[in-house]
Amino acid sequence: MIIPALELKDVESGYEQAMVLRGVSLQIAPGEIMALLGKNGMGKTTLLKAVIGYLPKRAGTVQVFGQDVTHWPAHRVARQRVAYSPQEQALFAELSIRDNLRLGLSSDKGFDEGYAAMTEHFPFLAGRLAQLAGTLSGGEQKMLVVARALMMRPRLILIDEITEGLQPSVITRLAASLRRERATHGTAMLIVEQNVGFALQVADRYSVLKRGEIVAVGATADPSAEQIINSQLQV
Amino acid sequence: MLVVAVAPFMLDSYTLSILVRAIFFAMLALTVDILWGYTGVLTFGQSAFFGAGAYAAGLVFTHLGFSPEMAALALGEALLSAGLIALLVGWLSFYHGATPLYASVISLVLPIVMTQLLFSGGTFTGSSSGLTGYVSFDLSLEAWFWWAGFALIAITALAWRFVHSDAGRLLVATRDNEMRCSYLGINTSTLKIGLLVATALVAAVAGFGYASFSGVVAPELAGFVFGTEIIIWVALGGRGTLIGPVFGALLIECASAYLGGSLPYVWKLLLGAAFVGVIVLLPQGLLPALLARWLPKHWATSAKPAVTLVEAAARPTSGAQATEAVALRGVGKHYGSLRVLKDIDLVAAPGELVSLIGPNGAGKTTLMRCMSDGAERSSGTVHIAGNDIGRAPPYVAVRYGLGRKFQTANVFATLTVAESLRIARTRLDPPSLWRRAEQLALPAYALAVLQVTQLDKKLDTEARNLSHGEQQALELAMVLAMEPRVLLLDEPTAGLTLAERTLIGQVFLDLTHRFGLCLLLVEHDIEFVREISTRLVVLHEGHIAMQGSVQEVVESELVRTIYSGAAATPHGASA
Repeated sequence: MIIPALELKDVESGYEQAMVLRGVSLQIAPGEIMALLGKNGMGKTTLLKAVIGYLPKRAGTVQVFGQDVTHWPAHRVARQRVAYSPQEQALFAELSIRDNLRLGLSSDKGFDEGYAAMTEHFPFLAGRLAQLAGTLSGGEQKMLVVARALMMRPRLILIDEITEGLQPSVITRLAASLRRERATHGTAMLIVEQNVGFALQVADRYSVLKRGEIVAVGATADPSAEQIINSQLQV
Repeated sequence: MLVVAVAPFMLDSYTLSILVRAIFFAMLALTVDILWGYTGVLTFGQSAFFGAGAYAAGLVFTHLGFSPEMAALALGEALLSAGLIALLVGWLSFYHGATPLYASVISLVLPIVMTQLLFSGGTFTGSSSGLTGYVSFDLSLEAWFWWAGFALIAITALAWRFVHSDAGRLLVATRDNEMRCSYLGINTSTLKIGLLVATALVAAVAGFGYASFSGVVAPELAGFVFGTEIIIWVALGGRGTLIGPVFGALLIECASAYLGGSLPYVWKLLLGAAFVGVIVLLPQGLLPALLARWLPKHWATSAKPAVTLVEAAARPTSGAQATEAVALRGVGKHYGSLRVLKDIDLVAAPGELVSLIGPNGAGKTTLMRCMSDGAERSSGTVHIAGNDIGRAPPYVAVRYGLGRKFQTANVFATLTVAESLRIARTRLDPPSLWRRAEQLALPAYALAVLQVTQLDKKLDTEARNLSHGEQQALELAMVLAMEPRVLLLDEPTAGLTLAERTLIGQVFLDLTHRFGLCLLLVEHDIEFVREISTRLVVLHEGHIAMQGSVQEVVESELVRTIYSGAAATPHGASA
């Protein structure tokens, strides 16, 4: 039996009094890309935060490659080579692009190679290593956050609304980049998206989250996938 | 109150006199809590105003003698000097662009300067030994206790009323997000200077009372050691609670008086250890921790009255409408030798919806910043509804009718949805200093945004507990609540679903067609832009590369190469 890259079993989590996730179960195989869709306030970001260890779990278990990480703090989960690319621009504004990218690695070894790969995904990074991250435009900052997460060669990466604020041509290229990353390194991905078209293009499977529960799961190759998703997002 | 009324009969005179002193200190702690706990201004300098009040009494009574007229003169002098110093210090600390750290440093310098002045005053100020032995009010200890005690209760009650009123929420808004306040047309500098003056006056009265009661004034009363001690009282008692700091001051002063005598050095050590312990274990302070344990839960949460939303009456548009809602001429921006914007000429009329598109990093957000903050651009002029914004901070452009929604949600973290919207209405419906209004009047289009995103069902939720997309919608509703004439929207639909996007698009069309607003939109969703825009402007490498009708621009070779990339990508699955 293959050990899943990520397995959630009946996870309940939330903030103080507010219970956001009400028993979420989810499985992602190694090298699989799963898109997590849903309307606003349905708990998509909360789910990512619960996985990475920012939020305590009230019930259920979270396993990463067979390791129970349910009650681990974020830095320990990250050491399992789980990367998180949050929605808000979580950069070190006063540090250079180089330093921001370097922070994902434990040593200088592999930086040049990783950087070369990242400039291929995000050409704007080329030749701008010394620029301070805070002086980048909003869209460029988003790309840098993803690049930083990919730098550490994660086995599993969680990406929150990467397409927000990006120009169309960049989104198209990004879809190809993520699929290439998966093909070469076998990275499993959980991507939260509002852009259904992008999600269907990148992911192998999709899940729809509604009021803290998964209400639909399916393969993106299914011709009726888009219709099912849109009907779930309507109401 | 009962406690204050009967306490003199229960306590011995030593305890009573310590309590009276502590009560005056507690008033001072109250002012620090308003500044630090509610407004986020960390100040070490409130002791200076206390000292000013105390010395006003000491100096007048020593050199001119005591009479009711002289007492009135001394009180007037206390208020005047503290008020003037606060005005000067406030202006120095809070001018536009000053950082909070800078304000704290000034608050540290102030008491040091004050003590130096008192030291160098020779026999006039009594130098380091201060002034003693002057005649003051002829009151019994009990009378002093009653006066001071009831005054403290009255001041606490007033402060309580104020911070929980609609106007009081402004303090929290300033603490949470000063930039947002400025973009809601609120001049936070004036607000903070006014607040500093008001708290300085209270501190001066407390100092005046203290000097009249104790018959001693010393330079330490104005010093920064004392100023720092107040911070400790407030932190121990629980900042941002008013009652906590009052009890913190009373408790520590009384304990100090008793234990400081019997255990002179150990006591300081104990106090220090307790301070560290509370900061580490109960970061909110003692009072909130105790309340959380013993008070039933609904007590803490049911305090907020429900707010109902109503539609605001339409406002007559003042005077003739300017034909140019927004006009930029020759606007440029450079950081050193790096030129981010070059020679931008852009004019938009009321009722127009102009969309700015361009690659990431083209300067779109910088352009929006230049339109709203006069200090941003390097060259050129910006007019909003015919008014030159000059070099003025954002609140000026906002007063000319500008509203700006930022790229990443920019809201007040600890205010609820209803409170945030109320803050946004500050300029149109001045808030009450004493009450919470039960109704919140908003223009129809702001209500529509709330309904579409279902935020109207979450009026009592704090902004930080909203999802990312809901925060975006809240910010949009706040900007609309100001009834602007020109709207700058930086990716207003980011984080919204397709269905919500379509509905928000309808709201935008309504804004331009029915209400004649001018909208400038930065968006990457070409489909969305195509459906609602009247004109497209393409920004590329800091200059306007092209502008024209939607059709012209979207189909141009330029946009295809620099922006949207190859022809439409196949939808749906890929293996």
